[in-house]
Amino acid sequence: MTDGLLLLQAAIDSIPAYREFPVIGARAAVWITAEVHLMFAAFVLGVPMFAVVAEAIGIFNKEERYDRLAKEFTRLLLVAYSATAIWGALLTFALITLYPRFMSHLTAVFGPTMWLYAALFLFESFTLYLYYYGWERWKVGRAKWVHWGLGILLNVWGTIVMFIANSWLTYMMSPPAGVTADTVPGSIKLWTAIATATWMPINIHRLIANVVFGGAIVAAYASYRFLAAQSDEERAHYDWMGYVGNFIAISALIVLPFAGYWLGREIYEYDQSMGITMMGGFMSWLWVIQAFLIAVLFLTGNYYLWLGMGRIPGAERFRPYTKWLLAILVVGAIVWGTPHTMIASSQELAAMGGSHHPFLGVLGVMSAKNTAVNLMILTTFLSFLMYRRANKRPVVRWARTGTQIQATMFLVAAAVVLYFGIRGYFVEAIVRIGYSVYQVLAVLACIVGATVIDVMLGRGAESRGAILWGKMPPRSQYALFILAVTFTWLMGLMGFARSGVRQHWHVWQVMQDTSKYAATPALGYAAEMISVCVLIFLTLVGFVFWLGGLAEKSTFADATGKAGTHVAH
Amino acid sequence: MWRTNLRIVAVVLGTLGFYTLIANKIPQVQSEVPKALTLGADVTPEQLVAAGEQVYTGIGGCATCHGLGTRAPNLLTDEAGTGPIGIRCGRREPGKSCKQYLYESLDNPTAYVVSGYQAIMPVMTRQLPPNQIWAVIAFLESQGGTVDVTASDIPVQASTPAGGASPGGASGAAFAGGSTDPQALVNAAGCIGCHTLNGAGGAVGPDLTRVGARRSAQAIRQKILDPASSVTKGFEQFAGVMPKTFGTMMNAAQLEALVQYLAARK
Repeated sequence: MTDGLLLLQAAIDSIPAYREFPVIGARAAVWITAEVHLMFAAFVLGVPMFAVVAEAIGIFNKEERYDRLAKEFTRLLLVAYSATAIWGALLTFALITLYPRFMSHLTAVFGPTMWLYAALFLFESFTLYLYYYGWERWKVGRAKWVHWGLGILLNVWGTIVMFIANSWLTYMMSPPAGVTADTVPGSIKLWTAIATATWMPINIHRLIANVVFGGAIVAAYASYRFLAAQSDEERAHYDWMGYVGNFIAISALIVLPFAGYWLGREIYEYDQSMGITMMGGFMSWLWVIQAFLIAVLFLTGNYYLWLGMGRIPGAERFRPYTKWLLAILVVGAIVWGTPHTMIASSQELAAMGGSHHPFLGVLGVMSAKNTAVNLMILTTFLSFLMYRRANKRPVVRWARTGTQIQATMFLVAAAVVLYFGIRGYFVEAIVRIGYSVYQVLAVLACIVGATVIDVMLGRGAESRGAILWGKMPPRSQYALFILAVTFTWLMGLMGFARSGVRQHWHVWQVMQDTSKYAATPALGYAAEMISVCVLIFLTLVGFVFWLGGLAEKSTFADATGKAGTHVAH
Repeated sequence: MWRTNLRIVAVVLGTLGFYTLIANKIPQVQSEVPKALTLGADVTPEQLVAAGEQVYTGIGGCATCHGLGTRAPNLLTDEAGTGPIGIRCGRREPGKSCKQYLYESLDNPTAYVVSGYQAIMPVMTRQLPPNQIWAVIAFLESQGGTVDVTASDIPVQASTPAGGASPGGASGAAFAGGSTDPQALVNAAGCIGCHTLNGAGGAVGPDLTRVGARRSAQAIRQKILDPASSVTKGFEQFAGVMPKTFGTMMNAAQLEALVQYLAARK
């Protein structure tokens, strides 16, 4: 028995720790396969969520266009699933062949979950096929509900699959207490390895991020179809689809920072040095880039909404306000992007006259940044509310009071955000951190409260004219492309932050990376890798959509005026 | 349609190129793998300073508190108008040279707590081997002062800290001279630098005088091996301060002796 174990140990020891990949190297090979796989995975997990919601809206409101939208979403998934699986297989091969000893460790800990993952992926795939191909067969009555249930099931499988895969990477990031370099991997209890400090925060963060990402890609798809449309009806449909995709992406984006705060807090609680590396160490500049990208998202998202108001009768009355909204967004973005705790050389510190810049240092702290981002969220929500209200004339008796209450909600929320932002400068850090919760709660309360009032105000409201779907300038569609590219790039950047914070450890302080790629690269190199991954993904996703379009039978009226079956809105 | 396709490609490539360009325009910082420190007899002050900077920002964890907030004095920049540490170190304690002051601050930090701060700093000579300690001193002296650390300051063949512990290593046999006497272990580990025990010690960590009444032996063991596993209520602001190296500094018998000693204090 002992001889057998020794033989086994000898066999493991004889495995080379690393192998090389031609031309681009092992790290780049794993980076690209992992990132592209994750992008496809995020897409195929995000889209079913709002496909099922769109189908439900179609069922409850008896609106055919939502059912059609849900089906179109799902059609995009079919080929994307294959691409996800192919890139997943490539990633697995890359890891097994290029990082064999690390994979030996990971499989020893997580072996059973890997089989479960494969089985669930099979279930998920077949559920998707049933969901899509059964769409027309189970279209009415009780069968429709069964069909909708399949959509729910599809999401359940997908979520479990994601949670399993997340456990592998969160183990690498925050291995359980007591696991050391000397721990035999097989002796680690499976659930302990799964339920680590960062597992659930990553699960929730990714769940929301997938919705954002899926919405953005769907919006980009719709914008392409809009630009290629041959008829007004087709243009109207894809204008609407692009709006819905963008609405989903921006709405979920507003919630995402809260999940991000939770994850950051758990990282700090797990290991403060990891948190400091992430926020104040060599990665500190990454957050400036992140702030810049999110500023682009806010500005482009609002720009799209403002352009969209051009196709809504009655929206003219809100136009004078957009310049003020733009000013708040620009100032907010500048404050949010202000550097603060950066790695600096002694000479740079001396030139600044301290560890922080005498003026910018004041703007770069969390009090200012939280205030800026919360005001940007409020501003974006106000843009959306104006968009929503543009062609409506409320008829309820309390319409004026309702609007005043909404305005008061905005003012109170902004005042709360500003008050705690300013007060944050005069209290200790531990108290200041707590203030961000009050700021967030004020903004969320305003969003929820103003939305509820708006829905009630809209009851029986007179129309100032129907939305002229399709009457959008082409530049609005290019804005959607910029949003999709930015969301995808941001996802790559945040993936680098999450993975790079481990620095030269495969498994944080348990298994060290001793390869020639152990050093964590600077942002410039990371940005090049991210751009390559985004380009590969977008090229493939364009191909996937083109393939999907080949099989599609157009139901729209063509340019020659032949009638289609699509219902105009 | 080709024109539209080309425009889309241009928008995508332009956006990607723009982001890549911006990320390349900011300062480029790569996270290097810490290298083992080898300082020979002919080591120059420049080499000591460079090595010290690595320890300061890396394994020493100094930047965790110094210079990145309000937990500890700024060392690399001005502190309340007294200049960076290299300038002020020689004036901190009358009769003590900069080198002496810095060494003693690392060896017995609770004796040199700067006014306005709390005694949270661990005994660094228990955390780092002498060559790393002296490299850090050289680096700190270089912050506005004159580097006078030389190879002669570094004990010959001393690559492990006093007491024999090596950070992250497993050479516990020589820790506290190999003793399993709990009091010797408490002294060697510098527990009372942060914790109070029998009325003496710091207030950064919870009082250990009756720790056995609050924690089981199992919980105490876990806390020593993995300080981040739990944080006592009221000490949340000091989470992360307790070194993680005690588990590797002591051997199993020493750890068990310390755990049983503390668990019995009810």
